[in-house]
Amino acid sequence: MAEQKKNMLSVESLSISFGGLKAVDNFHIQIKPHELYGLIGPNGAGKTTVFNLLTGVYKPDTGSILLDGQNITGKHTIDINHAGIARTFQNIRLFGNLTVLDNVKAGLHAHYTYGMLSGIFRTPKFRKMEREMDQKAMEILKVFDLDGAADYKASQLPYGKQRKLEISRALATEPKLLLLDEPAAGMNPQETQELMDTIRFVRDHFDMTILLIEHDMKLVSGICEELTVLNFGQVLCQGETKAVLNNPEVIKAYLGD
Amino acid sequence: MKTKTFRQNAVTYGIVILFYLICQGLILSGNMSSLMKGLMVPICYYVILAVSLNLVVGISGELSLGHAGFMCIGAYASAIFAVCVDGKMPEGLELFLALIIGAAITAVFGFLIGIPVLRLRGDYLAIVTLAFGEIIKNVVNAVYLGVDENGLHFSMKDSLSLGLSEEGLTIMNGAQGISGLPRTANLTIGIVLVLITLFIVLNLMNSRQGRAIMAIRDNRIAAESIGLSVSKYKMMAFVISAALAGVAGVLYSHNLSALQATSKNFGYNQSIMILVFVVLGGIGNIRGSMIAAVILTILPEKLRFLSDYRMLIYAIVLISMMLFNSAPKAIEWRKSLAERFARKKDIPAETAGKEAR
Ligand SMILES: Nc1ncnc2c1ncn2[C@@H]1O[C@H](COP(=O)(O)OP(=O)(O)O)[C@@H](O)[C@H]1O
Ligand SMILES: [Mg+2]
Repeated sequence: MAEQKKNMLSVESLSISFGGLKAVDNFHIQIKPHELYGLIGPNGAGKTTVFNLLTGVYKPDTGSILLDGQNITGKHTIDINHAGIARTFQNIRLFGNLTVLDNVKAGLHAHYTYGMLSGIFRTPKFRKMEREMDQKAMEILKVFDLDGAADYKASQLPYGKQRKLEISRALATEPKLLLLDEPAAGMNPQETQELMDTIRFVRDHFDMTILLIEHDMKLVSGICEELTVLNFGQVLCQGETKAVLNNPEVIKAYLGD
Repeated sequence: MKTKTFRQNAVTYGIVILFYLICQGLILSGNMSSLMKGLMVPICYYVILAVSLNLVVGISGELSLGHAGFMCIGAYASAIFAVCVDGKMPEGLELFLALIIGAAITAVFGFLIGIPVLRLRGDYLAIVTLAFGEIIKNVVNAVYLGVDENGLHFSMKDSLSLGLSEEGLTIMNGAQGISGLPRTANLTIGIVLVLITLFIVLNLMNSRQGRAIMAIRDNRIAAESIGLSVSKYKMMAFVISAALAGVAGVLYSHNLSALQATSKNFGYNQSIMILVFVVLGGIGNIRGSMIAAVILTILPEKLRFLSDYRMLIYAIVLISMMLFNSAPKAIEWRKSLAERFARKKDIPAETAGKEAR
């Protein structure tokens, strides 16, 4: 029990099926605070489905999810975010008609509050909160080198910057655990390298625990301390990055991909 | 950005005030036809209806087809109040209280109707709001309400079944509606209400709540993932929109001596017409829906000979706008047009996005 308390995320025997297909089967993972953890596996292995289970998009058939000791199994997405999990999406989901700045400010929603009437009547509280939100949002955007684009519509951003904006928005909710679903997808090698540096910086600067899905093995080996390999919905191998990547079964699964 | 929205809003208020000054000038100098004079208050309530519907359709992103139903509730609530207090208080105070009562009661109905409706999405939501609009109109037509020294009497059959005493007063007389109303609405009051509506909607849009409403519209799943309550903010937009439609209804009922609910004033044709204002002015564009409402209220009166074709013309306008806004070919064409403009004015945003793709 004491051991479990120490984990930021602790998942046991998590399963879900769609029709006859067991998309995630008896999944388990333990992530320590401040860890940068990688979830890898071939396409269709069930990685995104694991994220959807962790964030309450799907309700698991079996299993339990503890976040920082708190049981969040079966809770609603909104409550899970308030409990401390934020995520990005493999297929980018931004608020396309809002500005880059407003996308991040939407993420700050729960932390800078004022009532509807305060907003309509432009009270001093409204002004103060909005000013603080602007500052905080710009601070986050600066980390991702997006501060110059703050006034653009989110949909106007190029692809790589949209991915970064999604991370900024997730960070704005001040999560304990950040889930990144293929954050480097569609980026060129140089952009990818920059992003990996940024992710490491975010982990240190915001004192965050990060679980990231990545398709490209080389990429995760650079920054993740531990890995879980998923194959056909099941955990194939788990442990320190080096050991996992040298595991013959993992190599076989990837070569067969 | 901040100063840009501020300037945009100032222009919107400015247009309203300019419109008021011109109209008032024409009226006072005796240069306005009686036909146009009669349109002044309708213009105001149509603007309020268009702006408030845009809050649901454009800002919250739900297609509501029952807006006239909320207008109906506001009109009847305020008319009942007006008849009950007739002669017991100054006109100004009566109108002020009627506005508050009309808005509040419509807000309550908006909330109650919102509970089932906002569980639905897209076409289903549109159809159910349309049904609610029709139900409201028909229920109002079936109600008999009277008052005497024993209090309120209510019936769904006829006015005789109310069993009123000699001194009793029939307030709602079924399909014959409510008569004996004070005609206290005028252009000045209408414009003040338009300004209040704009103030509420524009400020809401630029607040934390408005941001949440628009975020949910743009991507519901992402909004939930950052902890935004979809049901809360959808309801907020829906109720405020309903309350403002109620205000338009109060203005409507105070512009008549007798109020009836017909398919013309509170039916789905009316709801569709308000939607045409919104679509024509640009979904989500508050100033646009305001201007569209003014033009489409004046134009049919000026083009009386076309009145038989009014709904036909609206339908064609609606179809063309939808095609213009969402047909792939039209979008392509507008993009190329925008690009050409952007290059001229050298806006980096558009081009930066293009190059990096
Ligand atoms: N909502 C769903 N309904 C049916 N099948 C699904 C659903 N979500 C995921 N799946 C299936 O689950 C499997 C795992 O998908 P996914 O988690 O997206 O894989 P990965 O992210 O590892 O590429 C796939 O076979 C996919 O088709
Ligand atoms: Mg995936």
